Formats: sequence, C-alpha cells, structure tokens
Amino acid sequence: MISLSPEVTKINNAISPNELSAEQTALEMRDLNLFYGEKQALYNIDMKIPKGKVTAFIGPSGCGKSTLLRCINRMNDLVDICNVKGEILLEGKNIYDKDVDVANLRQNVGMVFQRPNPFPKSIYENVVYGLRIQGIKDKRKLDEVVETSLRKAALWDEVKDRLNDSAFGLSGGQQQRLVIARAIAIEPKVLLLDEPTSALDPISTLTIEELINDLKESYTVVIVTHNMQQAARVSNYAAFMFMGELIEYSDTNQLFTTPAKKKTEDYITGRYG
Amino acid sequence: MKSWFKSGSPWIWMTAGAVSLSLISVLGLLLMIAWRGLSFFWPADVYEFNLEQGQATHKIIGEVYDREEVSAKRLREAGFTIPQSQGENVERLLVKTGNREFVELDFRWILETDIQSAEKRSGIAVFERSKNGNFYGYVDHVVIDGQRADSAKLDSVIERAVEINEQALDLQNDEIGSINYRLEKIRLEQRALELENELTDEIKAEYQAEIDGLNKSYQSYEKQLFKLRQAADRDAVVVKDMRGELVTIPAAQILDVHFPNDMSVLDKTARFFVQIGKFVSDDPREANTEGGVFPAIFGTVFMVILMAVIVTPFGVIAAIYLHEYAAKNNVTKVIRIAVINLAGVPSIVYGVFGLGFFVYMLGGSIDELFYPEALPNPTFGTPGVIWSALTLAILTLPVVIVSTEEGMSRIPSSLRQGSLALGATKAETLWRIIIPMASPAIMTGLILAVARAAGEVAPLMLVGVVKMAPTLPLDGNFPFIHIDRKFMHLGFHIYDVGFQSPNVEAARPLVYATAFLLVTVIVALNITAIGIRNHLREKYKSLEH
Repeated sequence: MISLSPEVTKINNAISPNELSAEQTALEMRDLNLFYGEKQALYNIDMKIPKGKVTAFIGPSGCGKSTLLRCINRMNDLVDICNVKGEILLEGKNIYDKDVDVANLRQNVGMVFQRPNPFPKSIYENVVYGLRIQGIKDKRKLDEVVETSLRKAALWDEVKDRLNDSAFGLSGGQQQRLVIARAIAIEPKVLLLDEPTSALDPISTLTIEELINDLKESYTVVIVTHNMQQAARVSNYAAFMFMGELIEYSDTNQLFTTPAKKKTEDYITGRYG
Repeated sequence: MKSWFKSGSPWIWMTAGAVSLSLISVLGLLLMIAWRGLSFFWPADVYEFNLEQGQATHKIIGEVYDREEVSAKRLREAGFTIPQSQGENVERLLVKTGNREFVELDFRWILETDIQSAEKRSGIAVFERSKNGNFYGYVDHVVIDGQRADSAKLDSVIERAVEINEQALDLQNDEIGSINYRLEKIRLEQRALELENELTDEIKAEYQAEIDGLNKSYQSYEKQLFKLRQAADRDAVVVKDMRGELVTIPAAQILDVHFPNDMSVLDKTARFFVQIGKFVSDDPREANTEGGVFPAIFGTVFMVILMAVIVTPFGVIAAIYLHEYAAKNNVTKVIRIAVINLAGVPSIVYGVFGLGFFVYMLGGSIDELFYPEALPNPTFGTPGVIWSALTLAILTLPVVIVSTEEGMSRIPSSLRQGSLALGATKAETLWRIIIPMASPAIMTGLILAVARAAGEVAPLMLVGVVKMAPTLPLDGNFPFIHIDRKFMHLGFHIYDVGFQSPNVEAARPLVYATAFLLVTVIVALNITAIGIRNHLREKYKSLEH
C-alpha cells in the first residue's frame, strides 16, 4: 500500500512486539488507563517497546498517542487533573511507584517536543543544561559532551565555530537538532520524540529522519507522528491508536502492508484521520 | 461625507488628537517647570528705580521678579494716586530689594506709574550672604584688618573669607562631629553596661579616660574653630545701599558677590551653571529658602534605592508563589485581586499604617530589645529612612508582584517543559529559566515602583521625612549607613519651601527649581532601570512562535 524504503524492508522478519523477551524490552506498559478529570483518555494499554529500535505511535488527532508518550516520562504530572492508573515498567521498575524520583526518571527518558524549544542561552549552554542540572562542572567533560552530542545530532559541523552564540540564531531545523543534542547529552535510555518534524520544512525533516535512524544504534526511540510515510520510513515497530485505545501494534512493515484490523486499514488507506 | 466616516479617517484623527493632547500637556508641564526653575539661576539684571510717590521720591535697587496688570480703579479705591491719563489697567512690578535687615520687606510691589526712571547702573553688586539673604548696593571700599583698602581687593577678601568658612565648617562637621558621635556612643555603652550591672569601676575609669581624651581634643578643635572664625571676621566690605547709607558687611557673612549689570552673556552663562551646581551640591540655608538641596536629593535617592532593595526580592518571591506554587483555585484568585487592589489604597493610609506598625510597634520593640540603654530616647522607634523605605515598599509591592506574574505567564510553556524533560526539578527550572526570562518584567515592575515611590510625599511625612536633617543617612562614622536617621526628600522640600516658608516670594523660584530637579531625579532613576531592562530583554529575547 505504501512503498517502503529498502532499509525498512530489510527488517521485515522482525519478531512480533508481543513476543519480546525481557532483555529486548525497554519499556512495558501494563493495563494503562489515563483520565483527565472525569474523561478517560487512554484505555487499557498493554504494550512492550523494544530496546534499541524505533517505535512509532500513529493515529488520528486526539487519539491519545501524545498523551501515551507523555506518560513515559511523566510529563502528564504537570496537568493537575490528570490521573494515571496502571504501570509502566522501565527496566522492570514501575515509574509510577511512589519512591520514583521524577527528575531522575526524566534524565533516563529524554524528550523532544513538536516545536523547537531552545533556551535563551548560547548553543553551548543549551547542550550542557542537563549536565549542569546534574551538578557537573568539569569544563573538559562538558566540552567533550557538547562535541559528541552535537556530532550525534549531526549539527557539529554547522555550529562548531559559534558555540557561544545564542541558540535563537539557528534555523528551525538546526534548533530541533540542537534540542535533540540537548536531550542526548544526558545519555537517556529512552528518547521520546513528539512529532519532532511537524514544524519543519521538508529538507530539515529529512535531516531529522536520518538522524533518528542513527540514534537507534544507541537509544530506544519512541516517536509520535502524524505523517504515515514518516512512520513507515523511520520506525521498526508501529502502533496504531484510535480513541484512546491501542488498536494494532506490530512491526512497521506488517502494519502497513497487511494490517490485521479493519480500523488500521481504513486509517492507513486514508479513509479518515 | 459618509464614505469619509466609513474610511476610518475620523477615528484616526480622533486617536491622534488624543495622543497629541497628552504629549502637549506633558511637554508643557516639563517646559514650564524647567523654564521657571532654571531661569532662577540666570543672573538677573539689577535696576535702580527712582520712584515718586506723592511728593516724596526715593530710590530702590533690586531685581524684577514678576509683572502683573492691576485695575486702575481698584488701586484708586485703595488710595493710590493714579493719573487719569492712565488706561484701565496699571502694570506693577514685584521687585526683590534684598537688604532684609534694613527694610521692612525684601520684596515689594511698585506701580509703573510711580517709576520715574529705571536704570541698569553699572557697579551694582549683589552679595549672597549666609544670613538675611541678598544685599544690593554699590561697593564703597573694603576694610582689611581694620585698615581701609581699595575696593579692587574685594574678590581676594571674599575668597579668603569663603575659604576660612569652609575650613571651619569642615572642622565642625567632620572632626567635632565625630567626637560628639563618639561621646554619645560612650554614654550609651556605659548605660548599657549599667543596665546589665556590669559597669565596674575599672571599665568606668577606662571610659572616663577616653572621654577626657575626647574632651581634650574637642577643646583644641574648638580653639581652632574660634581662631578660624576670628580670622574670617577680620575683614569687611562697606557698601552704599539704596538709602544712600554706608553699611558694613562682615566678610565672614559673604558667600559670593557678582555684578550682574557688568556681566557679558558668557559670564552670565558660566555663572548660571555654577549656580545650578551649587544648588545641587549645597546644603540649604535660612529655613530652606536659600542655598542648595543636596541633602534632599541624597535622601530621595537613598530612600528609593533602599526601597527598591526591599521591594524587589519580596515582590518577586510573592509573585513566584502566586504563579508557580499556589493552587489555582478561588482563594488564590481572591488573594491576587486583593494584591492588585492594594495599589489603589491612598498613600496616606500606608503612612498611617507605617507609623503605627513599623515605627511604633516594630521600631518600639527593636528599641526595647536592642537599644534599652538609649531609652526613653527612641533609636528605631521614631520615624526614619528605613521605615519610609519599608512603607513605600509595601505601597509599591503590588506593582512588582503584578508585573512579575505577567512576565512569568508570558514565558512559553514549551521552555518550562523542555527544562523539566531534561531532568530539572521545578525549582531548578525556576532558577535557571523562569526567573532569568522574567527579569525584564521584574525590571518593568521596579521602574513603575521607583517612579511611584520617588514622587510620594504624603506617607513620608509620617514615617521619616523632616524639614531639615542635620546629618545624612550616610557618613564617615561607623557603621556608615544609618538607616534609623531621618532624612530630607525633594517632594517634601517642595511642599515645605512653597507652603511652609516664612518668605514665600523668595521661595517660589526654588519650588520650581526643586520640582524640576525632582522630575530629573526620577527620570534619571527610570532611565537607569530602563537601560538595565533593555539589556536583559535583548539577552532573553524569546522565540516568537
């Protein structure tokens, strides 16, 4: 139905996400329900997110995919009326346990938002922000992290001569890569991308997509996207969500070529959404 | 016509008109104050008038201060003889004649019809004196050490007297002042020890020795002072006044002399700036009607800075709590409305509160706890600069809170989330992102607060301002900053000089000059703050999405 890049077809023989072993699993959601006040936004989500792979959440607007993503680093805590029931296991530990330090969790689960949100600081200070929060002051260590993170984010060559300039001087695509560099500077285990290219032009989008492909070498990446082609291009596994429910979850190739559910098929063939 | 209305042009004209009107009134106000205030420093020409009133003729020497038209009819009814040839109105002049101790009034109105001649005679000298105001007349001769000397020596005589007077004043303020300060300190220390029953004879003897030493040096300084005064009294200037009599003015009383009728424009300009400089840097004299306003400028700026130092952290912290931590419910809403409404409370009410709470309760308790030795004389339990600053801090608190909160809510939530997503706690996000980015808004609040506080007079009259403060709140005696002292304030100075003065006519130009100065000081404070704000804005310029 949708032509896949050769890269994606290569992993055609991936194992089904439900059969992942404990070592292969980065995150596991168990019976996750989420309420905004009286209104329920997520229904009984059960899924395993594989380690070192890119998993995409797709679905129409308001289906709960961003909400689900924000559960993983507990960004939903910021919403007063939000109430989460169920478990999300990160390396076997429920992140909603009482004794979990949220700041510590977020250091392990980085997040990149829809719009680039660099801080009003220099490029350098943006990248080391997370490290400064952790209290790292060693200049050599910071310099090193800045270079490696910016290299990983494919931004180093463009900014290496102006690290002390304001981050606002960068273009939108560069800013988004800076934000990704900022997120990976603290070496998270999981990287959450919430529609990272929706505010960018096609060329910047392409750069970011290539970057995502590189990132899965070192991180587990979860991406929310509106764009099905993008999901097909960058992800190994894809989850289709509809009205707060997880309708179908399998490897990307299978989901796009032979969807098991009618709703999935309707969506990816463009009947709604 | 209809299409003209539809085009919106009338609306543009109306709005533009409103703006112009505001602009004109502001500029007009500034110009009037500046003109009236500054022209006071321009050396005015001194006229010699020959007046004829009935049969008598006499001479008047003085500066023309004001002119006005009066109805001839009313003057005739009041018993003045006005020639019939005169029209309906007669012009009359207000003349400053000075020489206060020899004439009944140093300002007098003269009718234009009485003036036979008015001449700007060369050689008329204007003496500024430390007592009794200006003196106008012709210099006849100079007396140096009892010997008559040529009037050419006038300048050197006055220079010498001024210099000696300055030395005497310095001696009095610095050396003798600090001895008195120390003596008072010793008295209080002794009393404190006495209250705690720790005043042994030994300590007493030690103190006595110090007191004796101080008294000894006091006496030697006093001797020096008398010597200086005597030296200053050596010379005198003999002046022929408008009555034609010779008057001897001791050189020690003369501060300055100039001959306005013989000055070129350049000389006058130079003198104009010198006079402004003196006005800004000198102490007031003669119940504030003469001299400068330096203590008032200093007091105003000192108090405003003290207030800013108090109100900024307070307001910012309160705003942070309201905006970040307080639950978003009705109680918070009520608190916020109450805070905003505090800005509308009349300032005199804050003055009353400050007097009751800060001065009597807080200050009184501080005295009882920390300064029992000085009682019944209050130390903090009396109006002072700290209480004024605190009272004005409360008065301006709402402004700072409101603008800080506004600044914080303008920060895009994406930045906050970005920081939290990197593992920063809420407090770390506040310190590293929110407060720096809100700092321009905080500065805006501070600017508004300073503008309001610097112009406020009413509450200060209750909590610390005085007509004449003998000492500044900052001096060379430990601990250097004396926040318990009373202070002078430009706003109150205007009120005092203009409305409480024994010599209203003399004081009027000073009112304008002081008002102009007050505006200048506030503008200067604001421009400083605006400069800082613009710098911060540039630094934290946020992305416009």
